[in-house]
Amino acid sequence: MNEKGFDYDKYIEDTHKIGRFFLSIGVISLLMAPFIIAYYTNAHINFKAFTTAVTKVLLIYIPSCVAEYLIYVPLLGIGGVYLSFLTGNLTNLKLPCAFSSREIAKTKTGTKEDEIVMTLAIATSALTTMLVIAIGVMLIVPLTPILQNPVIKPAFDNVLPALFGALGYQYFIKDLKISSIAMISMILICIGIPSLIGDTGTMIIIIGGLSIGVSYLFYRHQYKEK
Amino acid sequence: MNEYLTLANSKAIYLIVAAILLFVSLFCFIFIIRSYKAGIKMGMDASLLKKAITSSATFTAIPSISILLGVLALGGNLGLPISWLRLSVIGNLQYEATVAQIAAQGMNKTLDSSLLTMDDLVTILLVMTVGIIWGCLLTIFTLKKYTKKIHNRKKDIKKSDRPSFANIAMVAMFIGLCAAFLGNYVSNFIVNGVYLPVITALVSALIMALFEYLITNKNIKSLESFALALSMIIAMIATILFSILL
Repeated sequence: MNEKGFDYDKYIEDTHKIGRFFLSIGVISLLMAPFIIAYYTNAHINFKAFTTAVTKVLLIYIPSCVAEYLIYVPLLGIGGVYLSFLTGNLTNLKLPCAFSSREIAKTKTGTKEDEIVMTLAIATSALTTMLVIAIGVMLIVPLTPILQNPVIKPAFDNVLPALFGALGYQYFIKDLKISSIAMISMILICIGIPSLIGDTGTMIIIIGGLSIGVSYLFYRHQYKEK
Repeated sequence: MNEYLTLANSKAIYLIVAAILLFVSLFCFIFIIRSYKAGIKMGMDASLLKKAITSSATFTAIPSISILLGVLALGGNLGLPISWLRLSVIGNLQYEATVAQIAAQGMNKTLDSSLLTMDDLVTILLVMTVGIIWGCLLTIFTLKKYTKKIHNRKKDIKKSDRPSFANIAMVAMFIGLCAAFLGNYVSNFIVNGVYLPVITALVSALIMALFEYLITNKNIKSLESFALALSMIIAMIATILFSILL
């Protein structure tokens, strides 16, 4: 407890309780949605087709789901993890947003202050996305021709390059050695196996792991010398 | 509009989706209020907390428009409310589009609204949901233990003289994340000649470098919260210009 009577451990304990409650209800609602829609529209779930398709999907996605979980939990903070895993768009939005806020707030990973900043950033990001999409859906008729205008379309097709160009600059200058190794490895792998171009989900895990591994080697080397 | 799309875009489905999304929004609101209050009690500067909120909102606004485009694209076949739900919770566009296709193939169909029925739609939705909930389940059942383990490891490391590797690892992981995306654009240019993503990323990086210079050397601190969003907007405008010129 600090001098103002704030009990951080209790705050974290409550974060787990509230997070688990909302996440559990959220998952149940999402699982129930197809059944409720089927009931209202008098439709029937094709369980044979479901089993065939879901087996394929699980074979592809379970390993990356587990890897994402193990890797991203230490990066996002406890509140941030509960929020990001329910609201999605993790690698392309929540993670960059959280890191950008950490950069602005100048907090250190794993500190109490960082936990607060991560939670604020990810919750705000999730709400903003939901708000933008909700407004977009409400204004779908007037917005469709604007968003799909062939002149403007290339801009929206390149939102991620715009995002990672700016973020890449901010992070690459922090460690040019690791950045060069990561970039060169990524380019060589993709040129060698062109089918991996576009499969950023897999490549993030490979290149992210490689970057951490190389930075660990540098770290060990540096402190062995001392 | 065919009968399938009329049903897939019916009021009842909109209401079901809106109820779920309202619940998720409530979750976000509660966490914002709790963490803000906790930050103040911990003695954090209120302006810093507000900055975290405003910078996240500005940062997210533009990428959210591209997610909205995904909603439109997927909505043509799955109906607007279902694609609205799927792209607002868990998953992402790449996952949803791939899995919807796999599920449709499982029923010997393609993702085409003229071929789909409501039976297909509810089956596809169930496949999309079951395929992606594993991260949530791991969070519900193991997060507490997992974070305790990480915390204990950090304590052990703190006992030694070395500085913590955790911060270095976080930066390295994020460098890896950026390299995976940026390297992908460069290889796509080398292999397939797709140049716009490379140009966009380059312009965005240059603008960001200029903003960093203004923030650090010219002390224009007000730019901090908006530098990323502005870099993205300018880069996207440049993309339009390049796509017209080249």
